[in-house]
Amino acid sequence: MTNLARLSRTDWFGPLLATILAVLLIQSLSANFLSAYNIQILLLAIAVNALVAYSQMIIIAIGQMNLSVGAIGGLAAISFAGAMEVWGLPAPLALTFALLIGLGCGALNGVLIRITGISAFVITLATLSIFKGINLGITEAQPFYGIPEGVKRFGGAVLVGPVPWLLVPTLLVTAILWFTLRRLPVGRFILAVGSNDHAAGLSGISVGRTVIIAHAISGLLAAIAGVLVVARLQIGQPSIGDDWLILSFAAPVIGGAILAGGHVSTTATFLGVVIVAIITQALVLFSIDPFLVQVVLGVLILAAVGLNKLRAGAATGGR
Amino acid sequence: MSVAPVPSALPESSSDGFARLSRTRFLLSNEFGLILLIAAFALLFAVYTSGFLSVFNLFSLGRNAAVNIMIGLAMMTVIVTGGLNLAVGAIGVCAAMGCGWLLQILGLPWPVAILGGLALGAGLGAVNGWMVVRTGLHSFIITLATMSIFFGVMIFLTRAEAFRDFPEAMTAFGKMRLLTYLSPLLLLTFAVALALAWLYRFTVTGREMLAAGANPAAAELSGIRVGRAIILCHMLSGLLAGIAAMMLVTRNGAAIPSMAGQLGQDWLLPAFLGPVLGGTLLQGGKVSVLGTVLGAFLVTMLSSGLLMLQVGAFWVQTFLGLMLLVAVLLDKARRSWLARRNLA
Repeated sequence: MTNLARLSRTDWFGPLLATILAVLLIQSLSANFLSAYNIQILLLAIAVNALVAYSQMIIIAIGQMNLSVGAIGGLAAISFAGAMEVWGLPAPLALTFALLIGLGCGALNGVLIRITGISAFVITLATLSIFKGINLGITEAQPFYGIPEGVKRFGGAVLVGPVPWLLVPTLLVTAILWFTLRRLPVGRFILAVGSNDHAAGLSGISVGRTVIIAHAISGLLAAIAGVLVVARLQIGQPSIGDDWLILSFAAPVIGGAILAGGHVSTTATFLGVVIVAIITQALVLFSIDPFLVQVVLGVLILAAVGLNKLRAGAATGGR
Repeated sequence: MSVAPVPSALPESSSDGFARLSRTRFLLSNEFGLILLIAAFALLFAVYTSGFLSVFNLFSLGRNAAVNIMIGLAMMTVIVTGGLNLAVGAIGVCAAMGCGWLLQILGLPWPVAILGGLALGAGLGAVNGWMVVRTGLHSFIITLATMSIFFGVMIFLTRAEAFRDFPEAMTAFGKMRLLTYLSPLLLLTFAVALALAWLYRFTVTGREMLAAGANPAAAELSGIRVGRAIILCHMLSGLLAGIAAMMLVTRNGAAIPSMAGQLGQDWLLPAFLGPVLGGTLLQGGKVSVLGTVLGAFLVTMLSSGLLMLQVGAFWVQTFLGLMLLVAVLLDKARRSWLARRNLA
């Protein structure tokens, strides 16, 4: 009993339970759900969406928000595709270029927030429009089609059975991120700044540097997500990233992240992404309207923040 | 230039008795800076582009400004409480589609349909406000969720199809020109802005909204029903978003589900540009209706002028983002300069 109580207090237990229940329920209603083809589609969605969610999660960890996640991802995506088509760069160089762009955009957000002291909301709203504008200015809303065969093959390849290669970078990032937030000083600094930046500053943590690092990581993760989408779609669409905003908040919040900062969980966020993917897939499977996906995402966010609040109240003895 | 003399609604300007000091203050204020900027850019565009001062351009500029100012005011009413309303675009589109549905499917007369659409906007805003008050969560996350829900339900119900059969009377209003270049939409916007300025300056409800935004705990202790004030602010925001959407409908002659982009996100930038340029504090408690009007007008004029300078339609968004950035930086510098001189 005490074990169960302790489990219920961890972030990943609730989402895991919900995931298992959802899988069992949907499988019992539709035998197709766990077919190899369906699982592959699920995993492809998870591969990209998890990175998008992490990109927001790391900013939620420092108690801020990043509206420009999608714009950075889109800019990195078209840089990746454009560098290969227009400049004829080999894929690894183009990849490095795109990731550097993402890192730079994120760091720029962090620097601006730090030196001006203006709320992250306003700064990232401004950079959202700047990055998106640069994207549209370069592409004039036309996609890049000249993606090399190697990248296309990577986007469609499977590792074993239904597991796509695209999932590999995501799993690596998940492990690195988990280790960073759990064990590395910089990860602990990020969480400390998020829970109380004043106290963190007094204990010798450079708050400014930590904020900039967190934003740089966020930009990098968004860029990886953008590149993966290019590999999957096999074209460099300028509209990549346009619909990431809601999703990027939904998964961390379902994973128990506290928006005030200082408390996030990589595994629970991953499970949050899995839940969103399963529900989206179920809506398609039962041929319920795909338009309703947005409604479901919104309801999920509301339910999750409500639950988190109840949980926080219970943990502190009810407030 | 058609900037009407809307009275400033700064709370402190009502309490000073020293004409000289208040004049210095006005010269140092955000509003005066914006007027200078508007004049400077108008001159620049008039000299360097042909046709900026043409009757047609002034008319379309006024029409666009009317909508942008209204969107800015819709966000402003919530910023007053220290919150945000990410759902302005979604509510606006819902109101427009609701109006189209009442007209086309139920066959109601157009004044009733417009009122119905506006009521829907106000209702959705009230839902936002009620949830913010009841859950005690920040309005950012609530309105992020409801923007997705409202927009999703709207798309689901309408099957993403536009309503196009609007009566002559409505579309004629959008095309009407007074004095050859003035759009009645702009006059409507100014009337709403005046009403808001009056609300925040002279009515108990308006003062209560400001107090609830400045310091909720203190407001509660002085007998203000903070929850009710916040719900009212969100309702007002929904109503204004609905009016902005109706103006777009009369202009386009159709209610289109994508008229504010995916989830209504395209309205977010203009919605924040107006109030932030106009010096409305994001922390709440302070409002400048005149500033919001001027800020939104400046933004509209810049987008139109940049297009005429042949900057390329795709780069305009970058410039608007840069402008928001420069504006907040300048405002910060101005504030710290004023603080050093003990003027503010």
